[in-house]
Amino acid sequence: MSTDVSRPARRGTPPPAMRQDRRVPRVFYLMVLPAVALFAVFHTLPLLTGMFFSLTNYAGYGEWSFVGLQNYVNLFGDDRIYNAYGFTFLFAIVSTIAVNIIALAVAIALNGRIRFKTGFRGIFFIPNILSILIVGYVFNYVFSNSVPAIAEALGITSLTTSILASPDTAWIGVVILSVWQAAAFNIIIYLAGLQTIPTELYEAAALDGATPWKQFTSITFPMIGAFFTINMVLSLKNFLQVFDQIISLTAGGPGTSTESISVLIYRGGFQGGEYGYQTANAVIYLFVIIAISFIQLRILQRREASF
Amino acid sequence: MKLPPGRAPRAVRYLVGGTALALVLSACATQDDVVTLNFFQFKPEAVANFNGIIDRFEAENPDIRVVQNHVPDADTAIRTLLVKDKTPDVLTLNGNGRYGELAEACVFADLSDLTVVEQVRPAVGDIIGELGSCSTGEVNAVPFSSNASGILYNRGLFAQYGVEVPTTWDELLAAAQTFEDAGVTPFYTTLKDGWTVSPAFVNLGGALQPEDFFDRLRAEGSDVAAGEVSFSKDYPEAMEKLTTLYSFGQDGAASRDYNAGNAAFGAGESAMYMQGSYAIPAIRASNPDANIGSFPYPATNSPEDTVVVSGVDVAVSVGRDTEHPEEARRFVEFLMSPEVVQQYAQEQSAFSPLTTGAETTDPALAGLAPYFDDNRIIGFIDHQLPASLPLPQYLQELALGGSVEGFLSVMDREWSKIAARTIPNEKD
Amino acid sequence: MTATSQSAGRRVLADPRPDDVKQIHRPDRRQVNWWLTALVAVCAFTILIPLYLTVVTALKTPDQLGGTGFGLPTSARWQNFAEAWTLTSFPRALLNTGLVTVGAVLLTLLTNSMVAYAIARNLHRRFFKGLYLYFIAALFVPFPIIMLPVVKQTAILGLDNQLGLILLYTVYGLSFNIFVYVAYIRSIPLELEEAALTDGATTWTVFWRIIFPLLGPMNATVGILTCLWAWNDFMLPLVILSDPSAQTLPLAQFIFQGQFNTNYPVAFASYLMAMAPLLIVYIFAQRWVISGVMRGSSK
Repeated sequence: MSTDVSRPARRGTPPPAMRQDRRVPRVFYLMVLPAVALFAVFHTLPLLTGMFFSLTNYAGYGEWSFVGLQNYVNLFGDDRIYNAYGFTFLFAIVSTIAVNIIALAVAIALNGRIRFKTGFRGIFFIPNILSILIVGYVFNYVFSNSVPAIAEALGITSLTTSILASPDTAWIGVVILSVWQAAAFNIIIYLAGLQTIPTELYEAAALDGATPWKQFTSITFPMIGAFFTINMVLSLKNFLQVFDQIISLTAGGPGTSTESISVLIYRGGFQGGEYGYQTANAVIYLFVIIAISFIQLRILQRREASF
Repeated sequence: MKLPPGRAPRAVRYLVGGTALALVLSACATQDDVVTLNFFQFKPEAVANFNGIIDRFEAENPDIRVVQNHVPDADTAIRTLLVKDKTPDVLTLNGNGRYGELAEACVFADLSDLTVVEQVRPAVGDIIGELGSCSTGEVNAVPFSSNASGILYNRGLFAQYGVEVPTTWDELLAAAQTFEDAGVTPFYTTLKDGWTVSPAFVNLGGALQPEDFFDRLRAEGSDVAAGEVSFSKDYPEAMEKLTTLYSFGQDGAASRDYNAGNAAFGAGESAMYMQGSYAIPAIRASNPDANIGSFPYPATNSPEDTVVVSGVDVAVSVGRDTEHPEEARRFVEFLMSPEVVQQYAQEQSAFSPLTTGAETTDPALAGLAPYFDDNRIIGFIDHQLPASLPLPQYLQELALGGSVEGFLSVMDREWSKIAARTIPNEKD
Repeated sequence: MTATSQSAGRRVLADPRPDDVKQIHRPDRRQVNWWLTALVAVCAFTILIPLYLTVVTALKTPDQLGGTGFGLPTSARWQNFAEAWTLTSFPRALLNTGLVTVGAVLLTLLTNSMVAYAIARNLHRRFFKGLYLYFIAALFVPFPIIMLPVVKQTAILGLDNQLGLILLYTVYGLSFNIFVYVAYIRSIPLELEEAALTDGATTWTVFWRIIFPLLGPMNATVGILTCLWAWNDFMLPLVILSDPSAQTLPLAQFIFQGQFNTNYPVAFASYLMAMAPLLIVYIFAQRWVISGVMRGSSK
């Protein structure tokens, strides 16, 4: 059996010769099938069950009846859901942009001619190893007590009340916490990307008298395009599903001003007993996330390809 | 990090085997003659109290072992246990709207045959019965502890400024004004926790709403705006009064939470505090010498109409499909014995829901106890609202400076939407 | 998603040097940019401030709170840690978290890499290509949709315990891990495998003896990410575990989030204790962790 093992492609499309090996060794199937079975049982089956319950009035317990598409119809008339989408998108877009700018800037600085590189690199990764929930409790304390006290001491009246206390500013607190936490991982990814750029390119550019900004736009940024794409797509996807940050920081408040879609689904569906209705919301949300990620990928790839 | 490749699968086997062994061992521990009851207890601050009660019960009943299960986020935990078909044998829940929804879904056993049911104060029994039950006539929970919501006050500050306990709305405003003029915060408010506004809402709303408001509202279905009763029509007075009281709060209330409020009121930073009996243990924890008094909300200028809002803080139920119904009932009867109820009430500054042996001796509750004893109590009206309506959040917005009209219209709108999308099961 | 594997391939073409050669470009000492160093140091402070606050708060008495909270405690109150220790049943919660984390990491490394290998070497076949997309598409499913059905199924299968959690982390990890493993495996030249196969080795042996050791950097990345996930996760343990004695560290912290009576110093002491094991491991393994994540992600 070892003689007709297929010769998989090294990269991209396989050379024509390999297509002639039509038989796949059975061992490859043995390698994947248990995983596929488990994945189907613990992910796909629950997904289908969940989608089915979005067509019922199930409360999460007790009796239920089939209600057809009624939950979906009702979703479109619910302004609380529109508000949650509005907040989630505002938050996710601002955070994605902020986290990528900050992470890229820090990564470039860390890749520059500085001292204590390894130490700094180590420090910047710390937020990624801490639980968001716990960090959120700490930030909650900082925003509610420390920042107002400092502002008072410095006489900055606009900051003497906690930013979490106003429906207009609470979302900024959530952004700060999320960016603080998420930047850690993105910095490392960008650093990895920056180190794939041959230093000769910069040396050549410097000889040509290119400014640092020019070097960034014509060498650095194009060369890390793939890293930029992956960071943008994954950041936006993660931020669209924001949950822990909000639970620990604002619990969706004040009022419902920082209620994200995930928080709304959890609250209404599990604590509010409208499981079927909020699952319908979650199904719509799934398609929204997929659509956005797909569009984003397309746009970024086209941009990447044009370099 | 490089694992020796050949040995890798063995590591998996050890891991799986080890965990399985641990599980088998823990399962074996329960296999003797002793019946183990799984006791779901939702109050994190009462874990020690219940451990004491369980110790005494186990000493008297050596054939039963009770395992207290206290969980983070009890609302989610009880739901996941139901989904798993692992309804606890005995459970405590707060007697609120969510309890009612579970009771109506027939999660709990009928306890109407227990003798303790007859010893429960009728008014308290009604409060929990009105939340819902599996079918009419069933008793799905017995009240273990009752709370009362009112206004707590600092006796020292009242004496110092010569303020009498107010019995009418005008006296209450005058008292608040006196303190404000003297530079004392009239009410310590804690707007970081939206739910802390709910007590004022249930007291003012409960006292000022028309008769059978929620029954009539439910009958209107999904078109509240066109109906005879609605929040916009019937709640303006209550909400105006609520915002008036909150206008007497201290600066920076928006970033203060319930814990801060208990500590601040305990330390004498305000003359009054709009919370109930349930806050007293926490206030005393921060200052054991706090000289606390209490009085009911004088919602109107006629003291004879004043009532106290009381809820069942801890309700005890038995899982409908428990494998040990006899043992579970024995534990419930023990829990409900007057000594146990009385001791818990004293430890937690609660009211005993029983008619016998139920003296309320806590001086902090002296202002509310007479109303409780005379059955001048009403339930928490927020328990009548569907759990998916975010009342605390809307109250928080209002108290932070939102408009009364905005609050009332969002309440009507949410109520209508939820009524429209709630499709009842056909009962068989 | 295929874009990434293609672009990964493109990078390999552009930079054929082996990984180890691509080291951090070490600057000449004379050229150190001290202004930039200072700026980075200021940024690094924003990372350390919340940690500092956690430490000082954990050592205070409740009446020392107030003000900005940044002041040092007048006298350290170690008692807070003792209280947090008993309140959260720390040893038991630590053991549970440790068991779940170690189990999830080992099982993930051993199984996910193998699945990814089979997929990566057959990506030109429709079945395996389909599997690849199937796993990755799951990355976009919001957890609330599957939560309740998963809870039900794990309970039916008797997996509402630590073992179930290990299994779920391993299975749910497949989505992201296959994505990163496949890109990496496809950059490994085939020659070694071919040589071994001609010598009569089975595909199985080839994987364990040749490929798995070569996956070192990627295993580091996946292992670290799985470890962080399993250690810090709150939601899955909350809904899956039935037995209170199975509680993990993040669940135990929730006792301080009840509505009643939060003692901030004790709570912060507890947070610190929950974060400490991972933080200590990180301090010692820091270089290795970062280079593991970096080497993994540059493929």
